[in-house]
Amino acid sequence: MPTTPPAEPETVPGVHRYVEHVMGMPISLALRGRHATTAAGRAAWSAVMTELTAVDLAFSTYRADSVISRLARGEVTLEQCPPEVREVVALGEEAAEASGGAFSIFLPDPAASGGPRRLDPSGVVKGWAAERAARHLALLHDTDFCLSAGGDITCRAASGSAPWRIGIEDPHDPARVLAVVPLRTGAVATSGTAHRGAHLVDARTGRPPEGIASVTVVGTSLTWADIDATAAYALSEQAVAWLHTRPIHSALVVTAERKILRVDPRSTIALAGHT
Amino acid sequence: MTDGKVTKVSVPVSPSGNGRDIEINDEALPVLIQETIDAQSADIDMVSGATVTSDGYLTSLQSALDQAGI
Repeated sequence: MPTTPPAEPETVPGVHRYVEHVMGMPISLALRGRHATTAAGRAAWSAVMTELTAVDLAFSTYRADSVISRLARGEVTLEQCPPEVREVVALGEEAAEASGGAFSIFLPDPAASGGPRRLDPSGVVKGWAAERAARHLALLHDTDFCLSAGGDITCRAASGSAPWRIGIEDPHDPARVLAVVPLRTGAVATSGTAHRGAHLVDARTGRPPEGIASVTVVGTSLTWADIDATAAYALSEQAVAWLHTRPIHSALVVTAERKILRVDPRSTIALAGHT
Repeated sequence: MTDGKVTKVSVPVSPSGNGRDIEINDEALPVLIQETIDAQSADIDMVSGATVTSDGYLTSLQSALDQAGI
C-alpha cells in the first residue's frame, strides 16, 4: 500500500514568527491564519528572503561589484541596468521633486559643495524592496502577515482579524515604545538619528539635519512611507508642514527636545507628551 | 529612457490618491502612550524604529518579540 505524507496539521491559532538577517538588518515576519505554519507559508517566507538577498546583491553600495556600484562608477549606463534599477532611480527622482531636494538618491559631498554627487539609493531601496517581497505573502489565502524589514513594516489583516499593533520606538530610548499604531493593512516606516552607522543627510546640504529625532509615517505604500519619513526627517522644522501635503494616513514627529507631534488628516496635534 | 533622461516608471502603489488610501483602517493613528513603556506592557507585534539593525539586534526590543513567538 503506498504511503502518503501526513496531512498538514490543523491551523495552530496565534501568531507564528520567522526572522533572518539580510542587508545589515533583521527581517521579522509574523503570520496568523491558515498558512502560518504550512509548507506554503514557509515557501512564501523563503521567497521573501530570496528576493531581499537578490536586492542586496544588486543595490548594495558596500559591494564594489553590485550593479548600483558599477552604475555609480559609470561602468554601465542606466539603460543597460535591469528594469528594477531604473524603477528605483525613477522613484528617487520623483521623491527629490516632491521634497524640494531634501531627499535625493544623489548625495552631495558636504566638504565639496557644488562638486559631483554620489549615487546612493538606499533611502528608496529599503521600503521598495520590502514592499515587493511582501507580494509573496499576499498570495497566502486566509493568512494575515506583518513583515518588518529593519523597522519598515508592511502588513495585511482581514477585516475580521484584530489589527496588528505596531510599536513606535522612542528615539531617545530604543528599548521603549512611545506610541502604538493599530493597523490592519498598510505600512509604517521610521527614519531617525538613532540609526547607528547610517548617515541620513539633508540632500540639499550633505549634512545631517538637526532638530528632529525621528519621523514615523503611516500610509498605504511602504515604498512611499519610507521615502516620506526620510524626506521629512531631512526637512527638520519644515517636516510637519510638508507631511500635511503628502498622501499619507498619519505621522508622528519626535523633536530633539522630545516634543511629540502627530500629523493626521484633520489637524496637527502637539500631544501632551514628552519622551 | 529617451535622450538619456529617465522617464517615469509607474510604481505598484501610487501615492497620488487612487482609492487605495481608503484601505487604511481609520484606527491607524499613532496612539501615544502616556509614559514610554516596555514592549511587553504595550502588547505590540512589531517595532518601527531607526535602530532596527543587525548590529545590536540580540539585545533589541524586536528580538524579544521575535523570540517570544518562534
